[in-house]
Amino acid sequence: MNTYIKTILLFTFLVLTSCEDVIEIELQSVPPKLVIEASLDWEKNTLGNEQMIRLSTSTPYFDTATNTFVTGASVKVINNSNNTEFIFEDQNNGDYLTSDFVPIINQSYTLEIIYNGEYYSATETLIPVVDISGITQSRNRGFDEEVLEVNVNFNDPVEKGNYYLFRYWEDGDLLVRLDGLKDEFTNGNPFSWYFEKIEDEDNGVEEFVSGDLVFIDFFGISKGYYNYINVLTQQTGGVSLFGTIPVPLKGNCINLDNPDNDAYGYFRLTQVIRSAYTFQ
Amino acid sequence: MSENLRTYKNNQKKLLFYLLFLLISPVLTAQTYTLSGSITDKSNGESLFGASIFLKGTTIGVVTNEYGFYSLSAPSGEYTLVVSYMGYTEINKELSLTENQKIDFEIVELTAQLDEVIVMAEEPERTNLRKPEMSVSKVNIKTVKKMPVVLGEVDVIKSLQTLPGVTNNGEGSAGFNIRGGAADQNLVLLDEAIIYNTSHLLGYFSIFNADAIKDMKLYKGGIPARFGGRTSSVLNVRQKEGNTKKIALTGGIGVISGRLAAEGPVFADRGSFLIAGRSSYAHLFLNTEAGENSANFYDLNLKTNYKLNKNNKLFLSGYFGRDAFNFGSSFKSSYGNLSGNLRWNHIFNNKLFSNLSIIYSKYDYDIRVVSNQLDWVSSINNYNLKYDFKYYLNNQYKLDFGVSGIYYDFDPGQIRPTSETSAVNPLSLDQKRAFERAFYVGIEHKLTNRLTALYGLRYSFFSRLGGQALVNYANNQPVVYNDELEVYQNGTTIGETNYNNDETIESYGNLEPRLALAYQLNESSSVKAGYSRTAQYIHLLSNTVSISPLDVWAPSGKYIKPQLSNQFAFGYFKNFKDKIYSLEVETYYKTTENRMDFIDGSNIIGQNTIETEILNGESRAYGLEFLLRKNEGDFTGWFAYTLSKSEQRTQGRNAREPGINNGNWYNTPHDRTHDFSLTGAYKLNEKWSFGGNLIFQTGRPVTYPNEQYSYEGQSIANYSDRNSDRLTPYHRLDISATYRPNEKRNRQWKGEWVFGIYNVYNRKNAAAISFGQNIETGVNEATRTAVFGIIPSVTYNFKF
Repeated sequence: MNTYIKTILLFTFLVLTSCEDVIEIELQSVPPKLVIEASLDWEKNTLGNEQMIRLSTSTPYFDTATNTFVTGASVKVINNSNNTEFIFEDQNNGDYLTSDFVPIINQSYTLEIIYNGEYYSATETLIPVVDISGITQSRNRGFDEEVLEVNVNFNDPVEKGNYYLFRYWEDGDLLVRLDGLKDEFTNGNPFSWYFEKIEDEDNGVEEFVSGDLVFIDFFGISKGYYNYINVLTQQTGGVSLFGTIPVPLKGNCINLDNPDNDAYGYFRLTQVIRSAYTFQ
Repeated sequence: MSENLRTYKNNQKKLLFYLLFLLISPVLTAQTYTLSGSITDKSNGESLFGASIFLKGTTIGVVTNEYGFYSLSAPSGEYTLVVSYMGYTEINKELSLTENQKIDFEIVELTAQLDEVIVMAEEPERTNLRKPEMSVSKVNIKTVKKMPVVLGEVDVIKSLQTLPGVTNNGEGSAGFNIRGGAADQNLVLLDEAIIYNTSHLLGYFSIFNADAIKDMKLYKGGIPARFGGRTSSVLNVRQKEGNTKKIALTGGIGVISGRLAAEGPVFADRGSFLIAGRSSYAHLFLNTEAGENSANFYDLNLKTNYKLNKNNKLFLSGYFGRDAFNFGSSFKSSYGNLSGNLRWNHIFNNKLFSNLSIIYSKYDYDIRVVSNQLDWVSSINNYNLKYDFKYYLNNQYKLDFGVSGIYYDFDPGQIRPTSETSAVNPLSLDQKRAFERAFYVGIEHKLTNRLTALYGLRYSFFSRLGGQALVNYANNQPVVYNDELEVYQNGTTIGETNYNNDETIESYGNLEPRLALAYQLNESSSVKAGYSRTAQYIHLLSNTVSISPLDVWAPSGKYIKPQLSNQFAFGYFKNFKDKIYSLEVETYYKTTENRMDFIDGSNIIGQNTIETEILNGESRAYGLEFLLRKNEGDFTGWFAYTLSKSEQRTQGRNAREPGINNGNWYNTPHDRTHDFSLTGAYKLNEKWSFGGNLIFQTGRPVTYPNEQYSYEGQSIANYSDRNSDRLTPYHRLDISATYRPNEKRNRQWKGEWVFGIYNVYNRKNAAAISFGQNIETGVNEATRTAVFGIIPSVTYNFKF
């Protein structure tokens, strides 16, 4: 519902609006912080033993430097029930890998990172995901009836409180699109979530055409991560007049030694279905 | 009943005694007689509000009330009576006051043409030195019609923004802000009916059709005791009554909309009517790519009155307006206001005037998402009964008193699936009911020839009624602070309490004293001071940058407290060069308790338990306003400047909570350090006249990113403290020219062409600046959205 209402207002605004342009602007700057991208995604029907955690630092907003990766940190994940530790090995490129991870549905895990002498920690539960009942294409949904969209169909479980993340990526695109979804308004129903691209000459977005390949990842996520991703997606496209006033994006990784220096990013544990679809 | 309430009631009793004492204390003088009646415009019979009537050579005088009624008392004797109203011929009448008399005056506009001539300031606009009224802005409708506006669409609310202390959140944003207050803190009345949304097309235009509006008055402070329910201001807009002399048609054809209004006498000259319509042209703003997107709006204004006899008159007025948007066939949305008011004016005697009103108003919206087969509706309804009296006790005391009751019905949202196959479940957010009552008394007291005081007291009492269940929370905290993650989260629910229809969930009572003093220093200057306390029981839920028509109102209750505001103002007023120029300088300080603030990441759409998304904060605003007007001559206009600050803060509820924005004060979105405007009109000759506006404002406070990081292959922005950055300054120049072709004296048809250019130097004023990655290069960019560049327009207006 959120998305619908915001999109309606945004579209109204754009229809009525005359011009947009890119401008130079001075921004405030702050000291860099640690960024933890600990996405332990367990692909359904695989072992899920190979997992990666990526560490980097934040930079000034308009900085184009890419070598912000963090090496020399100590990274491990602990199963909170049996205290099994999974050590993630430093690859010296910001990536930390393990091939021993044992994913267990609804199991709580703790992430522990020691970096620059400070101790970071996060706790999260591995959330399962329901099966996709089918992927279809259509034209008559979405904003533009002429344009192709892909639909991901699934059955929401009977009990309330399910949260999902979609990640769409069209082959050849630079950026992915993330979409958080909750079952607040659709609990227990067969549901279909669409992904459509509206052509925009200004930024080079092209609508889907026959032959286009799109990768779709469908995650089961926790409520906390849904809240995080919801704020993240609201703020990444840019905040329009009818967007929520932007706020600092707070993840679940806390700094136990220096609470004012929390890490960005999130420790998430999900089950995921990865699929691909080629438009007919 | 709470302890607080009891104290309030005690205080209230004491104050009432004091006020009564003031009433009965006037010194008895020689035999006095009362002169009363009404003052109307001779050409169309419209009653004149603010026309002055005084006895020459004395300080005895009065101005007419909203219905054109006046009453004054004087010792018996011979007088010269002067009736005047700016732009009208003055009447001097010899009068022998030896008994109570009733005289109705019809006054004539200075020249037949004057209607078409630019009169920047009429009597109500000019500074009245003696009246303790301050912090009031009045713009005449004729003035408004001459001001250059975007796309030629006359807009009363935009025109108010050229006055000090009035701003809004920028082009294309709804509502307006008074003295650093939020848009939901304005009480907007159209013929006494509460209007919940004043804008068409998300704020591009206002809902008031200037052809149907008689006058408007904005109280920025010193709000009289007869108004209440909002903390920041009152905008009182009144519709025309309709021509009582002849049938008249007015209308216009503009770039955006067409207008037509008809008025005339009815009921065998015992009454008159006005009916006015305005509609945007169908399929406005066609989007050529998708081909089917459209936006349109319309308004309908209606007013009629019937004179039962010389002491009784009935008025019926109504408004209906709506906006509709269609995006292809996938999304449809519409919203609008509906209001109606039945009034009975009754004159008890030559000193006591009364008005009884029954008022209904409603705001609702409807969104249909065809692709997901759902319909979303939301509304707020209110029924209002009020009885107001004005008592002209004597030359020293004038009294206003009355009672009112407003019953509210809130339907914050219902979702209905529109087909069997819809994935959406039906959902109905809790309907809420509330009852707001008030009684008030206001006394205008002439203490000496130089000093006049206005004492006012309003007592408001609000009850949130049952008929719904309320969620209970552990430790009675709907919002809890998570120490570890350092975020506010929803509290833990511990069941529900069900309240029956006849139960009251929560009640609040507030005593709202109002005080104003005017001291006349000399013939041409005065100082005034004012204090007002105001309570607001209903709140607009909006956590977006700009308020939207889809925001919903929520009543105070168990978890939401009423907003309480105190305002102090002080001003200096001067007329000079024979009243050709006037100067007003005012300063104010205002605080508001219980201003709600939204926690980071709050979700308020479709939210049934809004208390889990908000914390209780406070706000404060202060400023200096400066207004210099030239009221007469071929060139008229004003220069306005405001220096101000508006901030809010929400502190933690205990030592370990940081509050919102770390508990620090931060700028509200409507904080403008500097706000400057120059508005002028020049009459070249009978055919041509010109108008212009120059506006400069400090940029709106906004929140920008201060750093980025990589996550999910994207650059994620981290935003700094709330509203700690600013958009670039806003400025623009608008001009207009009005051409009146030669017309034959006896021809009924009068036409005029209005040519306008909005934003002459095509300034790209940022309505918003958004930050994101370029999808082709991945580089972070700042994108400016500018709403209106240079916009020429032409409008044809006619009168028949």
